[in-house]
Amino acid sequence: MQQQEIEYQYSANSDLDLGEQSNDRMTINMGPQHPSTHGVLRLILTIEGETVIKAVPDIGFLHTGIEKTAEAKTYHQALVLTDRMDYTTPLNNNLAYSLAVEKLLGIEDEINDKIKYVRVILAELQRISSHLVFLGSSALDLGAQSVFLYCFREREVILDIFEYISGVRMMTSYICPGGLQAEVPAGFDAKVRSFLDYFPPYLQEYHDLLTNNPLWLERTKNVCVLTKEDAIAYGTSGPVLRGSGFVWDIRKAFPYSGYEKFDFDIPIGTNGDVYDRYMVRMLEMEESLKIIRQALDGMPSGYYRVDNKKVTPPPKWQITGSMEALIHHFKFFTEGYRPPQGEVFVRTESGKGELAFYIVSDGSAKPYRMHVRGPSFANLQALPRMVEGSFLSDVVAAIGSLDIVLGEVDR
Amino acid sequence: MVITAASTVETVRTKFPRAVIETFEDRDELTLLLKPENLVEVCNSLKKDLPYLETITAVDWPERVPRYDVVYQLLSLESQCYIRLKVQVGQRREQHPEVPTVTGVWPGANWYEREVYDLFGIVFSGHPNLERILMPRDWTTHPLRKDYPLAGFDLPEPHWGGQVPYNVDPGVDSHYYEQTLRTAEGRELNESRTDINPNQEPGTTKGS
Repeated sequence: MQQQEIEYQYSANSDLDLGEQSNDRMTINMGPQHPSTHGVLRLILTIEGETVIKAVPDIGFLHTGIEKTAEAKTYHQALVLTDRMDYTTPLNNNLAYSLAVEKLLGIEDEINDKIKYVRVILAELQRISSHLVFLGSSALDLGAQSVFLYCFREREVILDIFEYISGVRMMTSYICPGGLQAEVPAGFDAKVRSFLDYFPPYLQEYHDLLTNNPLWLERTKNVCVLTKEDAIAYGTSGPVLRGSGFVWDIRKAFPYSGYEKFDFDIPIGTNGDVYDRYMVRMLEMEESLKIIRQALDGMPSGYYRVDNKKVTPPPKWQITGSMEALIHHFKFFTEGYRPPQGEVFVRTESGKGELAFYIVSDGSAKPYRMHVRGPSFANLQALPRMVEGSFLSDVVAAIGSLDIVLGEVDR
Repeated sequence: MVITAASTVETVRTKFPRAVIETFEDRDELTLLLKPENLVEVCNSLKKDLPYLETITAVDWPERVPRYDVVYQLLSLESQCYIRLKVQVGQRREQHPEVPTVTGVWPGANWYEREVYDLFGIVFSGHPNLERILMPRDWTTHPLRKDYPLAGFDLPEPHWGGQVPYNVDPGVDSHYYEQTLRTAEGRELNESRTDINPNQEPGTTKGS
């Protein structure tokens, strides 16, 4: 097995041997401006007829240097950078970053249950919206255009909830180290509950449109299979790993933010093909609804920030009346807080898979090093393994099923 | 047998007494500091228990000798435990310190090592395809090093925006474009290619 892996690695990267080429073998570019590469992914495909012999992903077109930029920002400022990595799951990124900074500060025990529950509700809503983007765009790639429109219609409802709670639709930065940016507005509960009632019929509609649709089955069943062993060897995570039949979810394995209190299942696939990855995500949306309902029912009361003056700026009304509060406010936003020296690696389950932050602190107010272990980066690495030997048109299906976001791959 | 981070450390310590320089715990996370030359054998023996490589990254400490930490995060899916491996490399004025590659142990290490090479300039000896992955291919420096400026530094003009030579593609030998490709009927496929791009060096511009 291991020997085989090494051989594969070498063969995949050795240069093209022109001597053995048959006449109809050719190298073509897919992307970086191809609509079904979900951004700016470029694939260099060697094809023989319709069969893909070799696929080499070329990434880096969207490299924005987020890890470098974060080293020049205070911990509070670096939060907004995390929104922009995986722009379909900004709140999951905020959550992962906040958990890492809180662990670095040693205040993770001070986070009260209300903060945790609101975070879980938002993270699960974000997971649903991320899966809707996956569903819409991958169905669009395979020719089911109406699904795309339906999915974005439902996603809009989720974004409205985010706008209601934070004032921003996508890059909310609402979850921050030490709690939430603002108090949860009254009526949030009712809005989320109405979404819980609104969404299931539409989820059923997607199932009706795709799950048993012969065209969809033809394009996805037994297409671009990733075996369990490969899925682990290549470090894939999330629905890709679960689609290959491995029961693995960070929310269950290393519960964070109170996930241990909720009852939910981990859907898994059997074959590891495109259909299984699709099905896992469809079922995960139902599980997310279950978690949100439990969190709403058990929502405790509490303050939206930790009662720790180091990481919590004073409330706005105090600033106008108290000189000390004004100084505190000024110090907080200009200098920030200084976590003790050390390093943390905090992993969470985002919509795409395992999202982890590795933050090294040297005792100053800025992260000495912030590394992001993004799920898309590792998942994309398994792409050549999936598509080599399959048809050119299935490459589109494989990319769609990986659900990559290039903003996170390139960071 | 249930594997924990502590039991893993014990196993490594007894199996490879010379490989471990230090063990330390920070915020419930165990770190094994290893000698670079023993890294691959330790990883090979750890793979059975901790089969999942989460990430490889590096940290630059310019004042310190050795200068770089290369960090490996391993995870056990069955026993739900994790451990961090570290090797320290980079002697004074060493431009490209070397670490043995672990792509033979985990194929998924390939891109992570390329990323660390790209952003830190640490060479992974034995890596099958050690090329830049995020930065343009003709980039000459390593951005995540601490002595790399955050903004505003002068590059000669052709490097603005990291211009990539047209005839260089990852995964395809540049030699490939010098060959004449023919279709089955004998028509030349790339006859006009040299006119578009006469194999320019990245530093030269034609016409302007």
